[in-house]
Amino acid sequence: MTTTAPSGAPTSAPGTGARPAPRDRVRKVARRRELGACAVLMTPFFLLLTLVFLIPVGTAVWLSFFQDDQPGLGFGPERTVFVGLRSYAAVLTDPTFLGGLGVVALYCLIYIPLMVVGALALALLLDAGVVRLRAWAQLGLFLPHAVPGIIAALIWLYLYTPGLSPVIDLLGEADITVNFLGVHTVLPSIVNIALWSNLGYNMVVFYAALQAVPREVIEAAVVDGAGPVRTALQVKTPLVRASIVMVAMFTLIWALQLFTEPMLLSQSTPMINSRFSPSMYIYDAAFTRNNYGLAAAASVVLLLCTIALSYGVTRWTSRSGAREEAAR
Amino acid sequence: MPGLPGRRSVLGAIAVLPLTGALGACSGSEGSRRSRGTGRATRITFWSALRGSQEVVDAFNRTHDRIQVDFQQIPAGGQGGYAKLSNAARASNAPDVATIEYPQVPGFAIDGVARDLTDLIDSTAGGLREKLLPQALSLTTFENRVFSVPLDVEPMVMHYRQDLFAEYGLEVPRTWAEYEETARVVRRRAPDRRLVIFPTDGGTQFAAYAWQAGAQWFDTSRGAWNVSLADAPTREVAAYWQRLADQDLVFMNPSEGRQHDAQIGQGQVLTRLSGAWDAGAQMNARPGQKGQWRIAPLPQWDDGQRPAVGTHGGSTFAVTKDSRNPEAAMEFIAWQVSHPDALRARLSSGTSSQYPAAPGLVEVGREAFDRSYYGGQDIYRLFEQEAGKIRDGWTWGPRMTATQEVMQDGFARASGGQGSIIDAVRAAEDGTMPDLKALGLTTTRNST
Repeated sequence: MTTTAPSGAPTSAPGTGARPAPRDRVRKVARRRELGACAVLMTPFFLLLTLVFLIPVGTAVWLSFFQDDQPGLGFGPERTVFVGLRSYAAVLTDPTFLGGLGVVALYCLIYIPLMVVGALALALLLDAGVVRLRAWAQLGLFLPHAVPGIIAALIWLYLYTPGLSPVIDLLGEADITVNFLGVHTVLPSIVNIALWSNLGYNMVVFYAALQAVPREVIEAAVVDGAGPVRTALQVKTPLVRASIVMVAMFTLIWALQLFTEPMLLSQSTPMINSRFSPSMYIYDAAFTRNNYGLAAAASVVLLLCTIALSYGVTRWTSRSGAREEAAR
Repeated sequence: MPGLPGRRSVLGAIAVLPLTGALGACSGSEGSRRSRGTGRATRITFWSALRGSQEVVDAFNRTHDRIQVDFQQIPAGGQGGYAKLSNAARASNAPDVATIEYPQVPGFAIDGVARDLTDLIDSTAGGLREKLLPQALSLTTFENRVFSVPLDVEPMVMHYRQDLFAEYGLEVPRTWAEYEETARVVRRRAPDRRLVIFPTDGGTQFAAYAWQAGAQWFDTSRGAWNVSLADAPTREVAAYWQRLADQDLVFMNPSEGRQHDAQIGQGQVLTRLSGAWDAGAQMNARPGQKGQWRIAPLPQWDDGQRPAVGTHGGSTFAVTKDSRNPEAAMEFIAWQVSHPDALRARLSSGTSSQYPAAPGLVEVGREAFDRSYYGGQDIYRLFEQEAGKIRDGWTWGPRMTATQEVMQDGFARASGGQGSIIDAVRAAEDGTMPDLKALGLTTTRNST
């Protein structure tokens, strides 16, 4: 984050007694103006950051440390007390929460590689001019992203539900029985919905990045005798590395908050329970179990996991990026 | 959305159904007209998902001038009714009187939604406490304080297809051993039929089985919540049903939704083990099966032992913390649970076979209930006999909905071949402890 604190400005301390030179004063005025512009431009950002991020996070942290307690069996009068790490201890010893973390980890392992590789492959195909109706293909792939997640989940719920789904009926006629909502198939089914929704969007990101690759680099590769596949994999892909990292990171953050799809599918399959993912656990803790301390602690744990993983991804990619630079 | 069968709780079966008819509508308007006439009447609000509530409220408003009730039909607890109540209480606008099923009473009491009614109940005219079945009242009493008033108490009974029992030459089983044998015979004589289902969404059914066998999932007698879901009687019950499931003697699927509807509708299942209320639900859901069903006592574990049963379903009325007229609310509750007209009005809806928690009303129920669906069987006499067998001392837990949900997830997985019934019970205990600890309750864990 940019620090625009005025203390960082190179002001000469008045205590020294030396009058600033005229050139310095000009620079100072310019500097002040710059700071003013910065302040005006950044204020909405910080305002929103405080309003929709810092205050809710602060509330969650507060809720996770203070609770309305009744001692003993719990039928006495309530009073708000500091409970220390009690809620955290409860969350971290709850097998259903840990199970939810496991589910999301597995989901990330399946979903993120598929998403990044799939979107990149499509973008490279489009960029290489393999697809004829480029604009139409782009539109078609992007369109699902415009469908809200809840609607997408409803559509897929319909396609997954035996007795309703034309897909299952068709497969049935070919003597193939699939249960999309079974014990082992339910997670891939959710991955499928997420891919359908987001593949087009990320493809557009990659495609835009590929447009920025200098044409002469590609021409040079072609002159050197690289085929289209080799050009795509060894020339273009390394050049859009920054976009790949960004997409991977956003996908990761999005995937950790898995909620809409399983929430809706849970209505129709017992294989998704009310604490399937950490986000669903938080929702369940707050609104079915009326256990706000537990929900708040789980939220903070999820936030910390997200921050740690994002940081890890950034560090790891920048380090390996630097290593690559050095090797070149 | 036809793809969204509510799966969560059997309590949904006591659910919202379009309330019938012209009679209710007429009397409703009459009641409200009169209340407009008497400007001084105290108005109280009442939320319920119970069948026949509109009829009861209409009857109350017709006969009372001083208190008038505004009734709102809400979704059944598991379908959002409890969330609605919690949220309303959080926003300080909960209704004066709310309907809470037994398993959820401790939770709402701990959360401070249900008011301590001890003094109110003792000051009611005619001594309401003495009119109620003690086993029912003990389920809503904690630390000698009453938090809600039982309306009905529902001993678990065995509903069975009398015609199919005759067709296959079966006798009504009296013990669980006989029941298992009957299940074997059914499967042999009719390979596409089974004696019963093990409901994968049936946390409350399983609790009733365990209750009958002598389990004590929660115990508050030593000043702490002792949790022992997987105690010895429960393990025995789990092993019994696991054996039946493993030998393919029972279907293992949800008891709500189209699949089970079809199983009952097509006669693929010969018995249903559920509370007494289910007789009315069955009449309402499948009028075409009139005359085919009878009701018998639930099988017992041991012929020699003193017979026992658990309950399945049943509701209570609580006065919420937000009520500004708790005395009026209590008067309405007292009338609802103990006045003959209230029970008559409820049964007049034709969809209820509620067994009143006030034994004095049983005769009223016997007379008001239309016996023709059950071939003239005097089912209230049977319920009365079974209600006397309800094992005393059972306690529901502070977060029963969540406990049952975790258990049912395990049942569903077990039906898919992952894990077993007892695993599901253990998982439910493991998933309940963090909740209770985070609430700040004193807990102990002692699975014997």
